[in-house]
Amino acid sequence: MTDDAHERTDEEMPGTRRLATPDYDGEFDAIVVGAGLAGSAAALTMAQRDLDVLVIERGSYPGAKNVFGGVLYTPTIRELADLDDAPLERYVAEKRFAMLTEDDETAVSMRPGDWHDPPHNDSYTVLRGDFDEWFAAQAAEAGATLVTETTVTGLIRDGGRIVGVETDRPDGALRAPMVVLAEGGNSLVSEGADLKRTERREHVAVGVKEVLEFPERDGVVEDRFRLDGDAGVSYHYFGTGAVGDAFGGGFVYTNDDTVSVGLAYRLSDAATAQPDPAGTLDAFKSHPAVAPLLRDARTVEYTAKTIPEGGVESVPDLVHDGALIVGDAAGLVLNNGIHLEGTNMAVESGYYAGQAVADAVSAGHVDRTALTAYPDALADSFVVRNLERYDWLMEAAREDQDLLFEELPRAVADAGAEYFRMDREPKASHASAAKQRLLEAVGGWRGVAKLALRYRKIVS
Amino acid sequence: MSTEPGVPTVENESLEDRLYTVKYTDSGESHLDVTIPGICAEKCVTYDCASVCPAGVWEADGDGGVPTIAYENCLECGSCRWACPHGNVEWEYPERGSGVTYKQG
Repeated sequence: MTDDAHERTDEEMPGTRRLATPDYDGEFDAIVVGAGLAGSAAALTMAQRDLDVLVIERGSYPGAKNVFGGVLYTPTIRELADLDDAPLERYVAEKRFAMLTEDDETAVSMRPGDWHDPPHNDSYTVLRGDFDEWFAAQAAEAGATLVTETTVTGLIRDGGRIVGVETDRPDGALRAPMVVLAEGGNSLVSEGADLKRTERREHVAVGVKEVLEFPERDGVVEDRFRLDGDAGVSYHYFGTGAVGDAFGGGFVYTNDDTVSVGLAYRLSDAATAQPDPAGTLDAFKSHPAVAPLLRDARTVEYTAKTIPEGGVESVPDLVHDGALIVGDAAGLVLNNGIHLEGTNMAVESGYYAGQAVADAVSAGHVDRTALTAYPDALADSFVVRNLERYDWLMEAAREDQDLLFEELPRAVADAGAEYFRMDREPKASHASAAKQRLLEAVGGWRGVAKLALRYRKIVS
Repeated sequence: MSTEPGVPTVENESLEDRLYTVKYTDSGESHLDVTIPGICAEKCVTYDCASVCPAGVWEADGDGGVPTIAYENCLECGSCRWACPHGNVEWEYPERGSGVTYKQG
């Protein structure tokens, strides 16, 4: 699937406009702010329902300002467009979860056979520069109009209603009955218009990532990660060896012939306990369990982003008179250490928002109450249900940060070393000592019971 | 038996070299600023903006005043906005497609 990988050219995509002066005032049913996954999903959905849609992207092309860890989840994208043509890198054939101390790794790895079969559990590594441009092009081919290099600087109101956007173009006011805000986590327009509050730094993560290539030889990714064809891996790491004294985790994902390596952790920790995200990434890349995967690699691109991790409590009001908020701007990210999701939630929210706008416009209503189909659909979908299901987990994990990220990885590594220790002692005494080491870390059997009770909902 | 060390050395490129991998179009003026310079000078001792920045944009120069702002290095993550405990960071999107252009993302 990567042989015919999408090459960016100077040719403009269908529907793309780079206008000196937009002359679209009042021409469109809806304006979408941002051509990321949520914005393009909304635009594509509305265009498929025959609405006239304008998508405004501040980057020089869709994806130019976008960063993510590296795995795209595609169940709804597959419904909206033909994924066979999409610039996918690899499907995820292996998931690995590893606890790292400063110099130990203890890991669980899964390679279900089913994941080799289409649709590959709807999990693919992609590069947003390629994918977002393709996805926006699907919206354009369905009839949406895309304007790039145009920054939305504010919303236009008439009374209480939002009736359009201000842009940084000369005479850049653009009016439309509906505005879909898909501006990402750093959502200046939504905040500036008081549609959402500025989040506390405890609920925002800073992420840094590098894409690495292996200039010395071909086939390194396949060899090093035990892969064939388009199969790829998704490795997650937590513990002090991944992000130091911070709440967060690291990752390694395989692309076609590059590797994405990065980490994300709580912004309040970056301000205090674990400053310098770039230096933290250096340390993670140099970890004894990670360095062998990256040997002889060269940095192709270094990126950073912030991630809204406040959970369901931080999701703002999703509909207003004349406006809807989707994707990262709406805080729709599930990042609980087990599931790292957001791309699927972005697409799902854009899809429901687009449906709600199309229904409202065809009914001739554009006020807030006409749009409640969007938050209602989202509340019934996996997006809000998953956020609600795991809300407690983030809280619990924050409270148990030292145990989960430092003491437990240390104890598990020690217990493993003890259990398999090769000397002239009988196995029974090693097993007993290993068990003792684990029990110490969690506070004895009483501690085990407390933890089991606390985290039972993960599997129940 | 090998006498080689068990772990390969990863050559971490300098932050400067890494930032050099990112295409940047300078709009000619900073999209970052502080709201009230006096807050940095009089109230701030921690310079959280500098601690969280993944690109070395914010740098306290030691005289206790407003940090220098190398906005040309900005990766537009917005971390400084949330990090500043005094809410003193002014942040605008770089205009007309300027700022970073990621090729991979």
